[in-house]
Amino acid sequence: MMKILVCIKQVLDSDRPVRIHSSGKWIETDPHGLYRMNRFDEFALEEALRIREAFPGTWVDALSVGPERAAQTVRRALELGADEGIHILLDDERYRMPWETASRIAAYAGNKGYDLILAGVMAEDDMQGQVGPMVAEIMGYSSATAVMSEKLIPDDNRIYVERELEGGHREAFALTLPALLSVQSGINRPRYPALSHVLRARSQKLITIAAKTWNPPAPRDHVVCLVEPAPVKSSVFLSGSPLEKAEKLVKILRENAWL
Amino acid sequence: MAMMRCRDNEIMVVAELLEGRILPVTHEVIAFALALRGGDSQFIRMIVPGRDIQEMANELADAIGIDVIALEGDHLDPYNAEAWKMALSALLAEWNPRYVCIPHTSLGCDFAPGLAAGIEASCITAIEGVCNREGLITFTRSIFNGKVMMQVASDADMTVLTVLPGVFKAEEKFPTFPDHKKGRVEVVRVPEVLQKTRVLGMIRAEERDLDLSIADVIVSAGRGIGHEENLALIRQLAGLFSKSAVGCSRTVCDLGWLGYKHQIGLTGKTVSPKLYIACGISGAIQHVAGMSGSKYVVAVNKDPGAAIFQMADVGIVEDLTIFIPLVIDLSQTDPHSPA
Ligand SMILES: Cc1cc2nc3c(=O)[nH]c(=O)nc-3n(C[C@H](O)[C@H](O)[C@H](O)COP(=O)(O)OP(=O)(O)OC[C@H]3O[C@@H](n4cnc5c(N)ncnc54)[C@H](O)[C@@H]3O)c2cc1C
Repeated sequence: MMKILVCIKQVLDSDRPVRIHSSGKWIETDPHGLYRMNRFDEFALEEALRIREAFPGTWVDALSVGPERAAQTVRRALELGADEGIHILLDDERYRMPWETASRIAAYAGNKGYDLILAGVMAEDDMQGQVGPMVAEIMGYSSATAVMSEKLIPDDNRIYVERELEGGHREAFALTLPALLSVQSGINRPRYPALSHVLRARSQKLITIAAKTWNPPAPRDHVVCLVEPAPVKSSVFLSGSPLEKAEKLVKILRENAWL
Repeated sequence: MAMMRCRDNEIMVVAELLEGRILPVTHEVIAFALALRGGDSQFIRMIVPGRDIQEMANELADAIGIDVIALEGDHLDPYNAEAWKMALSALLAEWNPRYVCIPHTSLGCDFAPGLAAGIEASCITAIEGVCNREGLITFTRSIFNGKVMMQVASDADMTVLTVLPGVFKAEEKFPTFPDHKKGRVEVVRVPEVLQKTRVLGMIRAEERDLDLSIADVIVSAGRGIGHEENLALIRQLAGLFSKSAVGCSRTVCDLGWLGYKHQIGLTGKTVSPKLYIACGISGAIQHVAGMSGSKYVVAVNKDPGAAIFQMADVGIVEDLTIFIPLVIDLSQTDPHSPA
């Protein structure tokens, strides 16, 4: 039967303020712990669950490489319906480059015989879009990014995919399995957790593996520092109470004859 | 043809073609490579992958004045990630350039990370800037939808870079060799090998609504509208203007609040209205790619750090559910009537 691995990342909720860490190399850990699953990965997980529905007997693993708090996101994947949750545990909150993360995923997945690996098209935090295609390369899987549709046909060892291009055009490919797809948002509408899964997830143990089980991959690049973007000219911002700002805006719109 | 093999500091630019024509984004990447090389074109070489491209490679070398490698293979056109990665990695192993520059397009994003992974190169994506920090070359890219910038440096001998479109200004003509007027062309033929990836063809996007392209004013909704019901506010606001239309971020489409024909951005529609009002949109590069040509931008966002303010002419830091009703109210009152 089909075995699927979904790569999920825990990210800071996008409504939280982003503060640069004193090391300058990544951001401060959120004091309120407001982290969640990367939205692009939610689409990847949903797609895996839909494949399982279409092909009963399919097995869906969800895996995250991250510090201790990432366990919560792996558990979320179980609540949504993944069969097993795997946490590659990092010792600290340091940022890892895509190559390091991809190496660790491949080290775990290498001998597990996954037919299909799904990932989000990118992470909302570091916006690299590299881990998926790198895992594919290390494992020798065929791959496609920005996938907006996939189709499996029984007894065919290929997966038919459409990837999205600029302007919403698409190109179609047939990939021989095993394959890795990085999934674009909008491919489906992610579900809410079902109560039965939530209850099961509560008692189910995660498979936790210390990242140091494997030799650390030699980094190929590193973050020098994070910087704030150039400040916005203060003249851009309207000042005053909400009503005063609205009055100023309406005045501008009228002066330009838009209103 | 006898040609000098690559020197240590060489930069290779992978060209992107569409229907046999080089895309403007390739010129931007050359401009980037020049910036990286301190304006010296001698060490820049272009790779043009495709089928029957020798003639075009000649034209390019003449026109731009840099050396071109025509990477010839029947299976390289149309684009096939597997075939491209295989052909390019063999070429790069032989030439061993310091940098490989690729447009950060849907195509570039598809093969660059895998290419780098396979040849032990560093990979740095969506580059918006390059600087030399006391001899250390660092590349700048946006993270957190533009709220913070990240500077990355390579530790590898070879580095694959994807360059964000629209940042580096393309030039028509580049400085040429001192003793040659034209670039030279080398043809490298790639043998066809059995592929695990089969190309099935292009599917064109549905014709999108013309409303957005002809509108003078676009009022655009982002996730920050919070609920589908708040689209009523966006529609009402748009209704105040003549020749207006409602646009949105991709997220709003993904949530099912508006159809994809309203989506503005990289994978949606590109617009350039006289006035663009962004409501609850963070200003991710993929969104900005579709609206940066707007003549005047008003942004309403409750987060003063939102990247959309970087390109706004007027910014309002407010909760839009409070602010927009005020604007609607005020603009419906006659400005000349005594309050
Ligand atoms: C390959 C690729 C292609 C893409 N193509 C596109 C594209 O074509 N178009 C596109 O738009 N995106 C595209 N994206 C997605 C893009 O990266 C962003 O995820 C998306 O644009 C974010 O949408 P948003 O600004 O609506 O949501 P968010 O980033 O979540 O921003 C919401 C904003 O609303 C603000 N806000 C929240 N509540 C309020 C309130 N009450 N009042 C005022 N402000 C509030 C928040 O401060 C925040 O800034 C693409 C991504 C990828 C990987």
